[in-house]
Amino acid sequence: MTSVAATGEVPGGGAAGLGRAALRRLRPSRWVINLVLVVVGAFWLLPTVSLLIISLRPEGLFTTSGWWQVFTIPSQLTLHNYKVLFSNGLAPGQVLDSLVTSLLITVPATILVTTVASLAAYSLVFGRWRGRTTIFLVVVGLMVVPVQVGLIPVTRLYRDMGSWIGWNPFGTIPGVIIFHVAFGLPFGIFLMRNFFMGIPLDLLEAGRIEGANEWTLFLRVVLPLGLPAIASLAIFQFIWVWNDLLVALVFLGGNSHQPLTIFMFDQIRTFSASYWEISTGGIVSIVVPLIVFFAFQRYFVRGVLAGAVK
Amino acid sequence: MARVVLKDLTKRYPGGTLAIDKLNLDIADGEFVCFVGPSGCGKTTALRMIAGLEEITSGRVEIGGRVVNDLSPRDRDIALVFQSYALYPHMTVYDNMSFGLRLRKFPKADIDKSVREAARILDLEPYLDRKPGQLSGGQRQRVALGRAIVREPAAFLMDEPLSNLDAKLRVQTRAEIARLHQRLEATMIYVTHDQVEAMTMADRIAVMNLGVLEQAGTPQELYESPANRFVAGFIGSPSMNFVDMTVADVDGTVGLSSADGAISAALTDIQAAAVRRLGSRSVVLGVRPEHLDIGAPADGGLRIQAVVDVTEFLGNDRLIHASSGDYDIVAMMDANEPLKVGDKIVLGADPRHVYLFDAESGASVAAA
Repeated sequence: MTSVAATGEVPGGGAAGLGRAALRRLRPSRWVINLVLVVVGAFWLLPTVSLLIISLRPEGLFTTSGWWQVFTIPSQLTLHNYKVLFSNGLAPGQVLDSLVTSLLITVPATILVTTVASLAAYSLVFGRWRGRTTIFLVVVGLMVVPVQVGLIPVTRLYRDMGSWIGWNPFGTIPGVIIFHVAFGLPFGIFLMRNFFMGIPLDLLEAGRIEGANEWTLFLRVVLPLGLPAIASLAIFQFIWVWNDLLVALVFLGGNSHQPLTIFMFDQIRTFSASYWEISTGGIVSIVVPLIVFFAFQRYFVRGVLAGAVK
Repeated sequence: MARVVLKDLTKRYPGGTLAIDKLNLDIADGEFVCFVGPSGCGKTTALRMIAGLEEITSGRVEIGGRVVNDLSPRDRDIALVFQSYALYPHMTVYDNMSFGLRLRKFPKADIDKSVREAARILDLEPYLDRKPGQLSGGQRQRVALGRAIVREPAAFLMDEPLSNLDAKLRVQTRAEIARLHQRLEATMIYVTHDQVEAMTMADRIAVMNLGVLEQAGTPQELYESPANRFVAGFIGSPSMNFVDMTVADVDGTVGLSSADGAISAALTDIQAAAVRRLGSRSVVLGVRPEHLDIGAPADGGLRIQAVVDVTEFLGNDRLIHASSGDYDIVAMMDANEPLKVGDKIVLGADPRHVYLFDAESGASVAAA
């Protein structure tokens, strides 16, 4: 994710006409700007790069020499750590099992949040029912509730569900997913609603006249136009859930399958830490969100609405 | 193709605002009707009620002999061309035009045929694979028209479709829509605030003001015999001059004069009889700029003493703004008329070009 900060766009020509020449004299040359950007970018990348190199060096070297030595002694590089890490396959408590568990939590939580949030936002923006604004304000208000506040009540709620419907989600993967979806929805609805507000109502009315029902309008008009927002929401949600430790620790306590965050956490022990496992596991856990980011990035096309209305 | 009937159509918003008050209009099959009026007069609301996008408070809408009040827009068999065009930006021109037919599950071959035929009529063939964002305003406008015509609806509704185009393109597209109407012989209901558009295209014009239908008639009827002062002022460009006049009924001849006497008029017998019937001491006189000329007619009629304020050269014509007392009188003259600012002139008009309106209600007292 660190590369995003370095590629931020510089908006063009903001200064007013008067005094522009004076400003131009003060403005540093393109060269200086580029140099500053490169330095800042390198700083952002440094921790990730060092983590990658540590994971590619033999375990014993960590305590005896710095990771930057690979630039003079490239022969230190080895895939040994990865081989060892993956050698135990899908056995519970191993990295591959954690990777799968993380995916089993994150993918459904992301899909559910984007789907439910889009549907809710559609109704809030284009539906014709009373109290839409009030409901929206309540949902936005819920955004201020921190996750920590929900842990104990939801644990109790899950236990009560056990006696009501015979299924206690506590300690199960669906239990974690439900929690993440519930706490991800307010922001999701907020984001999608504000984006849908920008879609001209004329487009939906045109669709209604052409013969579309609400489902068709949602799927064929609003959803394609909302792709940039959906992609942003999906990326946010995916990274939040992927990087979550607290909720998983609370709700997956006794489960034999643990997500990657707990796997990494377990490598930090009281008197020592398994740095080769932390660095190697860390790289593994970065790779998946990176793939997701680059997969969705192409939907961030600006001006998708160009040409809809005058 | 269908007849559209509006019966006591009324729209009252939840806040209590009366947007449309008992609108009655019978639009024949194949007729081109324009709703005109200033902004906020209810013309767009009326159109949206016909389309089904706005709820009907009371009254009814009939399309092709069936009451459609409770039908959803898609079941009314109409097409609406939006002021904003409302094209789907993520679809190609072809997909935009075929969207409605695809939703109605028409066979692929039929859809293709209709879309290509419409594209041919509208000169859109080279652009079928483009997205709306890659088209000019005029082309987008034609795509919006194309999307309407491929469906072959019972009635076409158009909401100010030309207002986003530049002046030249507007004249061009105006002619295109008129041609389209002749070709399709379809019922068209067209909303505009521009009376020139209405005059040039419509078979019949419905003039609306403050939610009320002021008059409906052919362009010529509205121009020659406006029902009231509002219609008289709205139809015709530049608009009609109005002057408050006092009635003087002396020795059996009815004459009119303005407060300072600079404007006076002798009436025809018919006009005099109508003014007598009105029984009021005051009346509003109207005369169109194109009917004013230098010099008062010998046999009575209208006589205006004025001083030239501004002259505007329009090529073929010259527009004169002249002040007479409190009134700014506009007159359309021949471009060669040698008038200068400050000239004292007498303007006159034939009595049959003088319109009279009730000073209170604004209703026409006698037209010719």
